[in-house]
Amino acid sequence: MTKSVLETILDSSTLSVLFQPIFQLQKGIKRVDSVEALVRGPRGTKFNRADILFDYVRRKKAEAAVDQSCFVAICDAVTNLPADVRVNINVHAATLGQNSGFVDFFRRCAKKRSLTLERFTVEIVEHAPTCDASRLTATIAQLRDLGVRIALDDVGLGQSNYRMMLDCDPEYYKLDGYFVRDLNRDPKRRAVVESLVTLAKTLESAVVAEAVASEDDLAYVSDLGVDLVQANILCPALPLEELQKLGHIEASPIFSPLAKAGDAFRHVPGLERGGVSFGVALGQSFYT
Amino acid sequence: MAKKILIIDDDEQLRNACRDFLSDGGYEVDCAEELEEAQSLLTYIPYSVVITDLRLSKLAFGGLDVLKHIREQALPVRVIVLTAYGWPELKTEASASGVDAFLRKPARLRELGAAVDALTGATA
Repeated sequence: MTKSVLETILDSSTLSVLFQPIFQLQKGIKRVDSVEALVRGPRGTKFNRADILFDYVRRKKAEAAVDQSCFVAICDAVTNLPADVRVNINVHAATLGQNSGFVDFFRRCAKKRSLTLERFTVEIVEHAPTCDASRLTATIAQLRDLGVRIALDDVGLGQSNYRMMLDCDPEYYKLDGYFVRDLNRDPKRRAVVESLVTLAKTLESAVVAEAVASEDDLAYVSDLGVDLVQANILCPALPLEELQKLGHIEASPIFSPLAKAGDAFRHVPGLERGGVSFGVALGQSFYT
Repeated sequence: MAKKILIIDDDEQLRNACRDFLSDGGYEVDCAEELEEAQSLLTYIPYSVVITDLRLSKLAFGGLDVLKHIREQALPVRVIVLTAYGWPELKTEASASGVDAFLRKPARLRELGAAVDALTGATA
């Protein structure tokens, strides 16, 4: 019998995973901080486009099931990454707020492939009014107990609002490209980005600017205090092999979670959570 | 650039036959078998013509929901209804939703092609 569209998507073997580096920019030098795993639907179908794939999934109210399939596909792909590369994954708030089994699934799935949970950052995405906030925050707390970091995606748009900022208390705020576009020419957008950066810093979180589209805007976000940048002009989402060819992914000290002996360490207040603080080497990636 | 056509029908054989025929005619053709799939495609892809059955799935007249979606989103797309159901009230409701042409199943592919050409302004 022919599989339905949703059944096909729920088969993780039909999904492919691309990785887009998130860079730390400092004094004109870019260093890969982490990679975002981006899932694409079955090849040869329109669902290979992420916007169509996830729009369909939301219309089917199948976020939790598809998030799990995506995580399986991502874990399989991550096994080919160097063990010290941090990985961001997208999970719907609805999945975290409604599916009580997600954390256990997450843990088992990673464990089966010998992947450490501490290397993952869960990017919370939401396009619909949020579910049960108390369950969402409880699930986030469970993830944090496993060493997972939290990012709030698309900050400033849709459901990634002030309430979500408080409920999720993310380590990372990912500013949507809408606010970063033409930053060099638009003082109103600059004001919005500046206020979000100030807010994030006050809440001891780091800021990631997404979809920066020009060198001018890149300079602006850096001047405004944005910590990290994810942009096609720096590197688009690519299959792992292509990232390796470009030299963005390799077993390199810049990915090392702890610096080698003798390096100067610096405490990063924004990444102190639950009594665990991260020491990082000066001159290396702040958030590795 | 080739005009984009979306075929919405839960009959795979019919979808494939229409797709192959229209593709041979120079159109870029996508197919959807269910309402949500059609809605997602319509949201992101600028189609010139949608060809839809009125009865999608065994449970509901999903084709009317497709028409409703097109109307609500004010999508600049022409609509051909291809259906085996000729109930007058259904046809009236569909017409009110802005259908450009009705074809009764089983329709000849040549007839469908002519309707698509007419709506896209293509010469036969």
